[in-house]
Amino acid sequence: MTSQSCHTIMAHLEAYLDGELEATECQAIEAHCTGCTSCAAVVAELRETIGLCRQVASVPLPEPVRARALERVRRLLNG
Amino acid sequence: MTKSAELHLSDGDPRRAAYASLVREAAAGDAGAMERLLVGAQEVAYRFSLLVCGHAEDAEDVMQEALLKTYQHVRRIQDPEAFRTWLYKTVRNACLMKRRRRVDEPAGYVSIEQGGDADEGEPRALGVADTARLADQQMIDAWIGVRLREALQALSPEYRAVVVLREIEGLSTREVASITRLSEANVKTRLHRARVLMRTRLGPALAQSTKTAP
Repeated sequence: MTSQSCHTIMAHLEAYLDGELEATECQAIEAHCTGCTSCAAVVAELRETIGLCRQVASVPLPEPVRARALERVRRLLNG
Repeated sequence: MTKSAELHLSDGDPRRAAYASLVREAAAGDAGAMERLLVGAQEVAYRFSLLVCGHAEDAEDVMQEALLKTYQHVRRIQDPEAFRTWLYKTVRNACLMKRRRRVDEPAGYVSIEQGGDADEGEPRALGVADTARLADQQMIDAWIGVRLREALQALSPEYRAVVVLREIEGLSTREVASITRLSEANVKTRLHRARVLMRTRLGPALAQSTKTAP
C-alpha cells in the first residue's frame, strides 16, 4: 500500500481491524491516521464498536438462566 | 475431504481446540467435562437466541434442544474438532424452527428467516411492540446494555447473525461461512457493513467515550 489517501485507507480498513495486513501496511494506515482526524475517528469508533461486541462474550448469563441450565443438565445426567 | 475436515485443518483457533478437548473428555466419560460442555452449549443457545432472534421464551426452548442434541451427539461423535461448528448450526436451526412456529406474532426483532434482502443492512418495518417484547428487551438490556442491544436490533437478521457469530462468539470467518451457508467473501462484506451501521447507531456514545478517553 503506497498511496495514503483516505480512500485507500478505507479500502483496507476491515483487513486492518481484523489483523490481516502486513506490518508495513498497518504502519501506513497508522501514519495516515496520525495526520487525518476523520480517518482516525473512524478507526477508533469501529474499534470501540468491535470491542463492545467482544465484551459480551465475557458477560455471564443472568444467574437464573445459568441456574436453570445447570439444573437441566443435572436432571438429564442423573436420569 | 469433507467440509468439516477442511474447516479445522487450516485453522488453528485455540478456542475451538479447547472445545474439542472438552468434547473428547466428555465422550470418554468425564462427568465434569460433560456437565461443563452441556452448560456451555446452553449458554451458546441463549446468547444466539436472544441476540439474533430476540425472544426470551424461545431461548429457553432452544437451550433445551441444544442440551439434548449435544448430549446425543457427543456420545457418538466422530470429529470433535468440528463440534463447535456443529453446535452453532444446531442452535441456528433450532431458532429458525421456533420462529416458523410463530409466524403470526408481532416482532420487535425481525426474525432470522424473515430477513428481507440479504444485501440490505436495514431491517424491515417492525411490528407493534407488545408486553412480551418489552420484557425481552428489558432482559437483554439488563444483560448487555441498552446501547448495544439497540445497535444490534437496528441490523437485519442476516447481519446480526454474522456479527454475533464473528464478534461475540469469536468464530472464524470460515466457520461463520459454514454455519450461515454464505461464502467467506460474503461474510466479510456483511460484517463490514454491519460494523459501519452499528458505529453509526452507536455514534454519539462512541464520540463521547473517545473524547473522555485518557
